[in-house]
Amino acid sequence: MPTITIDPITRIEGHSKVTIQLDDQGDVQSARFHVTQVRGFEKLCEGRPFTEMPALMARICGICPTSHLLASSKACDDIMAVHIPETAEKLRRIMNLAQITQSHALSFFYLSAPDFLLGMDSDPEERNILGVVRKFPQMARDGIKLRQFGQRVLETLGGKRVHPGWIVPGGVSHPLQAEQRDAILAEIPEAIRITRSALRWFKGQIESFRAEVRAFANFPTMFLAMANDTNEFSAYNGWLRFIDANLNIVADHITGTDYMNYIGESCNDDSYLKTTYFKPLGPQDGIYRVGPLARLNMCQSAGTPQADEELAEFRELERHSVLSSFYYHYARLIEILFSIERMQTLLNDPEILGKNVRAHASPNNFEGVGILEAPRGTLIHHYRIDQNGLIETANMVIATGHNNLAINRGVLQVARQFVKGKKLEQGMLNRVEAVIRAFDPCLSCSTHAAGEMPLDIQLLSVDGEIVDRVRR
Amino acid sequence: MAAARTLLIGYGNTLRGDDALGPMAVEQMRAALPYLEFVSCHQLGPELAGQMAAFDCVVFLDASSAGEPGTVQLQRLQAGVTPAGSFTHHMHPAVLLELAQTLYGRAPKAMLATGVGASFESGEGLSEAAQRALDEICRVVPRLLQSPDLW
Repeated sequence: MPTITIDPITRIEGHSKVTIQLDDQGDVQSARFHVTQVRGFEKLCEGRPFTEMPALMARICGICPTSHLLASSKACDDIMAVHIPETAEKLRRIMNLAQITQSHALSFFYLSAPDFLLGMDSDPEERNILGVVRKFPQMARDGIKLRQFGQRVLETLGGKRVHPGWIVPGGVSHPLQAEQRDAILAEIPEAIRITRSALRWFKGQIESFRAEVRAFANFPTMFLAMANDTNEFSAYNGWLRFIDANLNIVADHITGTDYMNYIGESCNDDSYLKTTYFKPLGPQDGIYRVGPLARLNMCQSAGTPQADEELAEFRELERHSVLSSFYYHYARLIEILFSIERMQTLLNDPEILGKNVRAHASPNNFEGVGILEAPRGTLIHHYRIDQNGLIETANMVIATGHNNLAINRGVLQVARQFVKGKKLEQGMLNRVEAVIRAFDPCLSCSTHAAGEMPLDIQLLSVDGEIVDRVRR
Repeated sequence: MAAARTLLIGYGNTLRGDDALGPMAVEQMRAALPYLEFVSCHQLGPELAGQMAAFDCVVFLDASSAGEPGTVQLQRLQAGVTPAGSFTHHMHPAVLLELAQTLYGRAPKAMLATGVGASFESGEGLSEAAQRALDEICRVVPRLLQSPDLW
């Protein structure tokens, strides 16, 4: 049976490949997304003091260290059984929102904008950030500036933009200064302008991508995200909720270790990425999605004025939930807008300069779970310690693992729609990659390694002979 | 040339053995050359382009596994002369020069100083060969900055 291998996938965070099986007529029979990096962090942290976990876990990834720092610190708060000071919680929320902003800006402007601006079928030598810079310099400048804004907030609060160490078990290590707050606030109007401009532009382009909207992982699934009493967008506090494609609540008020009753994890023979599924339905039918699309489907309002305007328009795309994963990009921009507005509100709160920012305690529980919404979706850190406070077991459930079933099904849907015959074309293969990019998978997080990403695609005959090959 | 505004950018992963050579070169030269500006980072990103555009000269400090361990390679860089390939995790410094030129109207003169390492496994600390390369970079780069004819 002929096989197409796309190895590695380009413009994503990490190292992976796709294999597409064709039948003798050249039609797609099956497709698989493989993650080719090994996962190791859950094992190597065993035996370490639990207080080391936030700093250690932040090293999982250079893109999402803040998310792991936050989830890990929340798990440690749970082990210590402390309620962290209100100011500390607000400061942590600002960090999380800044992380969402910088990560989404990277995904939209650096990784996916080449497809939107230059076209899915454009020359792959040009279809990259340099191509965007040459043809759309203002958009490129805006993208850089927006990501810089998010990074500067992380750097201002955390001391450095990658692997900040400011978030600690019990709160944060030191309070925010007035001049730091004012410096961030001064940049917010420009960040909002850029985001609104990108939203206007993207909405104007959607009509040109009707085929991608139809075929990019566009099917009914459940969605998982954090929820709260007000049904407002929630990224830091709350509990987990599953909804179905018609927005009906399937499971609710999931907290702490209860996640294990609803989220099953399985290993795969052909990928280092674990697959998670809704446990009551099992690994075959328990497909769900997390991340920006899930969060916007989940909440009834964003809770900030400009994001709420955009959310109302977003909801008009579908009668119930928005199902096409192409709209992850759209949802990302709305989440950036929300994050900036919410940061502004939090920074204007006089309590944000409060000096009481850390609770101190020894371990009071042998188990702790930290949950938050990372840029790519729900992130869970779960630790068990021994009597000396040393880690016995650690489990991390990462957004890309939650989305693994949907990514695989999306790859198959796109391959069936666009990959035809025995002659490979760049555009068809780029769409297979682009559906993966829509989820913005972070494979460094989900398998905890990093790699480089040239592209080598081989179309093999039944006897293994290469009948076509594309490299870039 | 000595009065030119100069930026030194050292990049690499400090937890991958000899890949730390660039950031370590920054730390070493920062003390000896306090009148220069320095950036230390894991990898190059488009955000650096705007910062670079404000300088007359930029020297990139990197580690490589290609070549004779312990040696140092110097390479002139030019905006518009960029290697083939798309933007991935690894952004070539020449791409940054083009970004600076196209987006901010100005690309500085630029040089890439690469020290060839021997071990890029997980862990901290340089191999003996990478240490030699680091010492050489810290000796050569300051001279380079005072010798405009070399650029």
